[in-house]
Amino acid sequence: MAQLSAGVRRARREAQRSVRIQGRASGLLGDCRRAFHAFGELDELAENLRILSLNAELAAGRAGEMGRAVRALTQYTRELVNRLAQIQGEMFGLRVKTYALSSDVLRELLQLHLFERAADLVAANSASSKSAGIVADRAFAQVMRRMVDTLDSLADSVEAVARRAQAIEEVVSQSDSIATNIAIEASSAGVHEKEFRTVSDTMRRYVDDLRQMIDEASDAVRRALEKGDSLRRIGLENLHELQAKRILGE
Amino acid sequence: MKCVSLYNQGSHRWLAFGQDPAKPDAVIDTVQYVVCAQGGAMLLDPGGMEVFPPMLASITQEIAIEDVSGIFLSHQDPDVGSSLPLWRRVCNPETKIYVSALWTGFIAHFDREAVFTAIPDEGMEISLGSDVRLKLVPAHYLHSPGNFHVYDAKAKILFSGDMGAALVPPGAASGMFVENFASHIPYMEGFHRRWMSSNRARDAWVAAVSKLDIEMMAPQHGLVFKGDDVPRFLEWISGLDLGSGVAAMAR
Ligand SMILES: [Fe+2]
Ligand SMILES: [Fe+2]
Repeated sequence: MAQLSAGVRRARREAQRSVRIQGRASGLLGDCRRAFHAFGELDELAENLRILSLNAELAAGRAGEMGRAVRALTQYTRELVNRLAQIQGEMFGLRVKTYALSSDVLRELLQLHLFERAADLVAANSASSKSAGIVADRAFAQVMRRMVDTLDSLADSVEAVARRAQAIEEVVSQSDSIATNIAIEASSAGVHEKEFRTVSDTMRRYVDDLRQMIDEASDAVRRALEKGDSLRRIGLENLHELQAKRILGE
Repeated sequence: MKCVSLYNQGSHRWLAFGQDPAKPDAVIDTVQYVVCAQGGAMLLDPGGMEVFPPMLASITQEIAIEDVSGIFLSHQDPDVGSSLPLWRRVCNPETKIYVSALWTGFIAHFDREAVFTAIPDEGMEISLGSDVRLKLVPAHYLHSPGNFHVYDAKAKILFSGDMGAALVPPGAASGMFVENFASHIPYMEGFHRRWMSSNRARDAWVAAVSKLDIEMMAPQHGLVFKGDDVPRFLEWISGLDLGSGVAAMAR
């Protein structure tokens, strides 16, 4: 086993600023992944809801005059399904953007780590010039600044995801009240009661699934926002520290 | 990381950096070179990103980083230049990056913002300071299809990239130079047979390089050849059957 110099050992021990950041960043990226994974079911749920609304409309048609209110409710459901499809499209764009930003963060992290190690090795080396340390620190600071910018964009895109989650929540609560109203209509629909009740029960089941999906996704989004914010703070602290050392040469 | 001076005449210097004891075992050992002359410096195959931290720390003990005016990549491999985006951040923005025209678009995969000076197949010359001319000598298919070596006629040094590379086991070499050519062969043979693809290209390269006055041949892996070991290497490589991987397909 090769003998490591004291300087190298020190550099290894000290290259921890970036390791700490790295830990949080992978947590952040994990949360983003979790959020999009949860939303992955939106597709199927929206399609189920669409088919249900078609079947409900047929049932309402068969019920004639007794199905009039249900028919109106199912049309409203169809609008909600369209709304879901629109959100889904937007979510796709956001997912692409978020993953692109995440990969930028990963690349910047790798560079941060390498510049930090370089700066520490230079510092550990008594023969190195002072300007060499400044060069490495300055490169570290540049990447850090870039990473803070990327984290800002990432936070924007996670917030946009949060807004979509809220929009889905609205669709869910409206679907819930439609299900309740269909159940009410069912009780006075005579021979059609059973059919309408099945529609309302199925709808409620879908609503529950959507709600669970939203809960999972919102939890991940909330955590991602918190982690992004704390990472950004760490980045800014680092930049201030380097600024205090007059590395940045403003 | 060790630094050995290969040539030192006034401001004209050749430095070799390698044999870093802290290098992780999984990372193939490389030698990085710097040629300096009159306030200009050229990095030859600055290495993979894993090598960057110790390399920056070592190089800045020898030269001012602001003096780096050029970065030369013999070919596209990650051990040659995946550190490029890092070097570009610490070097002067005007630093030129030389690489085969074949590889600019590929190397952009690890540094999309880099602007390259594409080396044509025939090679080219680069001035370093007012009286040092570096000749970029074509060495295509040895092993990379777009591959160059660097010859400095004044220092009589040929930087030969992967040609002459040796996988020297840790502890087997005491310095940076080949001490005994015969016992060095086992560290080179398998590598050259398998990595170097073309006997025809090898013949053309040996013919071209034999016309140069070379006192040292400095490869990107292993040890530097000096004096009679240079013609010895040329003779040895001339008799080797290259492209051994073909046998695996013929089976
Ligand atoms: Fe190579
Ligand atoms: Fe190599």
